[in-house]
Amino acid sequence: MMRFAVSDRDLDVASLRRELHNPDHGGFCAFEGWVRHTNEGRDVGGLEYEVYAELAQVEGERIMQEARERFGAIDAVGIHRSGMLRIGEMAVWVGVSSAHRDEAFRACRFIIDQIKHRLPVWKKEHYLEGDTAWVACAHHGEDHDHTHHHRHHRAPAGFVPDYSRQKRLPGVGEAGQEKLARARVLVIGAGGLGSPVLAYLAGAGVGLLGISDDDRIDASNLHRQTLFTAADTGRLKAEVAAERIAAVNPSVRTELFGRIAPDEAVALFRRFDLVVECSDDMSSRFLCSDAATMSGTALILASVHQYEGQLQVIDPRAGGPCLRCLWPAEPAPDAAASCAESGVLGPVPGILGTMQANEALKRLLGLPGQAPDRLLLVDLLDNRTDQLRIDAENGCASRGGCVAMAERAMAARGGDSLERRFSTLGAARAAGYRLVDVRQEDERAAWPMPEAVHVPLPVLLESGAALPAEGPLLLVCASGRRSARGAQHMRDSGRADVFTLPGGLQGLSE
Amino acid sequence: MITVELRYYAQLREQAGTGGERVSTDAETPAALYDTLRLRHGFSLPRDALKIAVNTAFCSWETRLRDGDVVVFVPPVNGG
Repeated sequence: MMRFAVSDRDLDVASLRRELHNPDHGGFCAFEGWVRHTNEGRDVGGLEYEVYAELAQVEGERIMQEARERFGAIDAVGIHRSGMLRIGEMAVWVGVSSAHRDEAFRACRFIIDQIKHRLPVWKKEHYLEGDTAWVACAHHGEDHDHTHHHRHHRAPAGFVPDYSRQKRLPGVGEAGQEKLARARVLVIGAGGLGSPVLAYLAGAGVGLLGISDDDRIDASNLHRQTLFTAADTGRLKAEVAAERIAAVNPSVRTELFGRIAPDEAVALFRRFDLVVECSDDMSSRFLCSDAATMSGTALILASVHQYEGQLQVIDPRAGGPCLRCLWPAEPAPDAAASCAESGVLGPVPGILGTMQANEALKRLLGLPGQAPDRLLLVDLLDNRTDQLRIDAENGCASRGGCVAMAERAMAARGGDSLERRFSTLGAARAAGYRLVDVRQEDERAAWPMPEAVHVPLPVLLESGAALPAEGPLLLVCASGRRSARGAQHMRDSGRADVFTLPGGLQGLSE
Repeated sequence: MITVELRYYAQLREQAGTGGERVSTDAETPAALYDTLRLRHGFSLPRDALKIAVNTAFCSWETRLRDGDVVVFVPPVNGG
């Protein structure tokens, strides 16, 4: 049952619904459009719809056919009124039935949007002041929640994202699509790797994409950075990338960042479910690895060189190795070659970036992914790959652990704060901190911290050696004042892995 | 004398002019092997700027090499 009609009579909803009954269908969705009493600030007493009936009929049927092609086995009816209508009367009715609710909802939305934008219908508004005006019924995109403001990149009127091809996959479905819509992914670097990452994550419907890049588009980027065109040269990559994302999928929100400062990286990473590192900057990779380790945020790293690339997935919550497990310290600049010096074939970052996007989506969907203890080497001259197992035991584990290594590196950048904020002590322990209670003995009875080592502040100030040798340590007191003093004392004595819980026990949520 | 299969990535590939080769060597460890290869190919990177993997696992430069091992030299890579 697929039918479109223009009617000059009151719509009989009960009989319209009956037409859509189908023993195979378990979902039904309807939309009703009513005459409002105001339009653009003027009071309206009634409406007169004038419809170019022959054309409306053909166009309406075409819309119904398109809905069938998009959404499969659905039954649908659409009816538009013509003639004189009063406030509250029904001007348009769309009903869809289908096997499951999802197709019904989406097809219904699609049909009403298309009707509003394509049908040759004009309405003559009869204002209460006595005058009238003809108003076109098409409202290009105004009923969509566009958060971007780049007019020339607006989606075509009535565009609704259609994820049917990925939702059909086992392992995705409606639940997977909802996961993607809720996901927040930070992409660092909008260049050769970042172009496919951003394009695919936007197309897949990831809810929020953070983009960090302070670079401008150069003509030498265009052979590999496929988000950009010659007309974009000189513009900020992050801004143009956000425009392209809006053009691909207006439902994706974007948030733009410049270069990420070391002292804000950990807090920033905590706001995202996943970070994808796509820069061409070795120090950014190490900062990201450290911030991922300290914040417990998963990180997908890739880098390219001439005709080859490397890919590593860091999963701190699963206890997987970090970048420092492979390279304890940042390599000297001349030990790691860059695209500018060594050259790169355009598809190479395209392929590695596409693999990053693939890993990101699989991870968000809970699908299997690249093993976090492997470095993948992709040789794109002879299309050979090597998956090399990272020797985690002789990595950070032999130097105090990934968190301790990251803490030290972060402190050495000079941008590190003494403070580590957690809402519960359990969260601090889960992040890898050993708790040290610096309160006096008599305070401990009222609010015990059985999971903490006890080193009262006076003892600590007398000798830092009273603290456990293996960090990172989180000092805790009642209000955060004494622990801050203790952490500062240790920092001044040259120990970088001692921190304070601001607000102390009183500031916790438990 | 053992025969091992070598794979070069990034700068090492550039400098060797090949992605890999099979060599017969007296070297007992990757460290000793790399020293001979440096002379032959003029590799610019010092050993501590590289990672070494034998038979698909990263390992120490002092790992004992055996006949038929696949030895992969991996420099850090920077481009994006």
